[in-house]
Amino acid sequence: MSSWAEARYRVQAPNSRPRTIKVIALDAGGTEAIRQLADGGWTNATFFTVGKPGELKTLDGTPSTVEQEVHGADLVVMVAAADGRAHLAHEIGQVCSDRRVATTALIVGAIDAPEEALARTLAQLRPWSLMLVLASDETFIADMMAALRA
Amino acid sequence: MLKKEQNDLLTQTGPGSPMGQLFRSYWIPALLSEQLPENDCPPVRVKLLSERLVAFRDSQGRYGLIDEFCAHRGVSLWFGRNEDCGIRCPYHGWKYDVTGQCVDVPSEPSESGFKDKIKLKAYPLIERGGVLWAYMGDPAGQPPLPAWEFATVPPAQSFMSRRYQESNWLQAMEGGIDSSHVSWLHRGDLNSDPLFKGARGNQYNLNDARPVFEVVESPGGLYIGARRNAEAGHYYWRITQWVMPSFTMIAPRGNHTVHGHFWIPIDDDNCWAWSFDYRPDREITPAERQAMKDGKGIHVQVDEHYRPLANKDNDYLIDRVAQKAGTTFSGVHGIGMQDASLQESMGPVVDRTKENLVSTDNGIIMARHRLLRAVKALKDKGIAPPGVTPEHQRVRSAAIVLPADQPFTEGAKEALVVRPDVAHASV
Repeated sequence: MSSWAEARYRVQAPNSRPRTIKVIALDAGGTEAIRQLADGGWTNATFFTVGKPGELKTLDGTPSTVEQEVHGADLVVMVAAADGRAHLAHEIGQVCSDRRVATTALIVGAIDAPEEALARTLAQLRPWSLMLVLASDETFIADMMAALRA
Repeated sequence: MLKKEQNDLLTQTGPGSPMGQLFRSYWIPALLSEQLPENDCPPVRVKLLSERLVAFRDSQGRYGLIDEFCAHRGVSLWFGRNEDCGIRCPYHGWKYDVTGQCVDVPSEPSESGFKDKIKLKAYPLIERGGVLWAYMGDPAGQPPLPAWEFATVPPAQSFMSRRYQESNWLQAMEGGIDSSHVSWLHRGDLNSDPLFKGARGNQYNLNDARPVFEVVESPGGLYIGARRNAEAGHYYWRITQWVMPSFTMIAPRGNHTVHGHFWIPIDDDNCWAWSFDYRPDREITPAERQAMKDGKGIHVQVDEHYRPLANKDNDYLIDRVAQKAGTTFSGVHGIGMQDASLQESMGPVVDRTKENLVSTDNGIIMARHRLLRAVKALKDKGIAPPGVTPEHQRVRSAAIVLPADQPFTEGAKEALVVRPDVAHASV
């Protein structure tokens, strides 16, 4: 039987378990982006802003730590604006690297950003991201989260 | 993962469908010019975007692309006689010109004017770069002629092939922007295929087997950059272009020809995979051209109907010995069929509600995002989609070494657009 006909007989059982995704805003632009995103009814994603070194806060202000949140995560998504203020990426990225957790970085508003500021942001994010996305509009983040089953 | 309704939206391209409307905004490849080689040659059946059509070249060299079926009794005009500036149905002799206008109904008095009331749907069909391009949209919105560089260089500098693919267009196109599969599926061919091997850049690939990807929106679609470590403080970038809705240009290797694809829906279960190779600065050598005809590089050996010789009916001639030996990772020979075999194995329209994408799939995620956005903008506001205008089409892929903190869109700015007679930036 051809693959065409066989396609009707694909097993209907679930083929994956829910994954755990942590979304961390690295700067003010990132915070603005994830505040809009966080209302999306995600079941497998939680959202944080950065504070003092090693510390994170949920969007309602509950304190946590980078170690605590990266532990058990399947993916960490770092969100930043293209203004060179993503320096805390190294701290989060280092923990992810130590724990072998995959990282994705998103730069919002990157397309029209000044080259110098974008270059600074890239220098901060590139060493710590397995995938980096430069999006023109913030609506992409929601599509990405849905695609990743967040 | 996509919701079912999103999957349906992106994969259905028939008349009246939103994605079909988007495809109908572009000039799309319909036939190779060689399929209509001379005036009054036999007509060719064409199925595009779920519409059955017939193409012919009339006595004056004009191309016609019209409804396949005679308005009288529904006979296929593929059986027609192509003569005296029109195609004549062999059943009762009704005749149509390249605009679809009926010009003769032998059974009716010519002075009755009956023939003037009969007209088949027709679409513009033009020749450029060895390809016959069709525009199937609203005549008022007809875009400028195709400006893709491969279609504007002299014929001696380009090569085009096409093959039938038994899957929906989207899963085929997504393979073209899924850069992370190359290191697996095609690993056996990069250093042996005559159209790939020997490039200095291949060494960077070998030295760093785990590329990191960057996806950046471009005016017409996406830049998909794969970076590897190069000399101290530098990255080796391979930058692929995706231009909406279904054009890709793969990053070059050394002094080889540069290649890419279009994926054009035949219907919702099948598509044409178009594959081009070209050089803006020199002719393709006889050895390169022969290799392309022999199915090397991204090309595939096909039968007279452009169906691959290795196909699902013969299990793609899978070679388990070669698979075990590692000379080909999947056991299927040839880069083009390695892709096609796996994409067809997903079924005619892959069920994207079941997929589990990961972060390296962000090129695919972003492409879907842009397509959905463009479909909505066209449907709700009539906004022409990206990729229609010539400046979106005059783009290039690139392989280049850049400082580590430089945005590749800046460092490779000149390399990512057409520069007449200048070779691609390649390593």
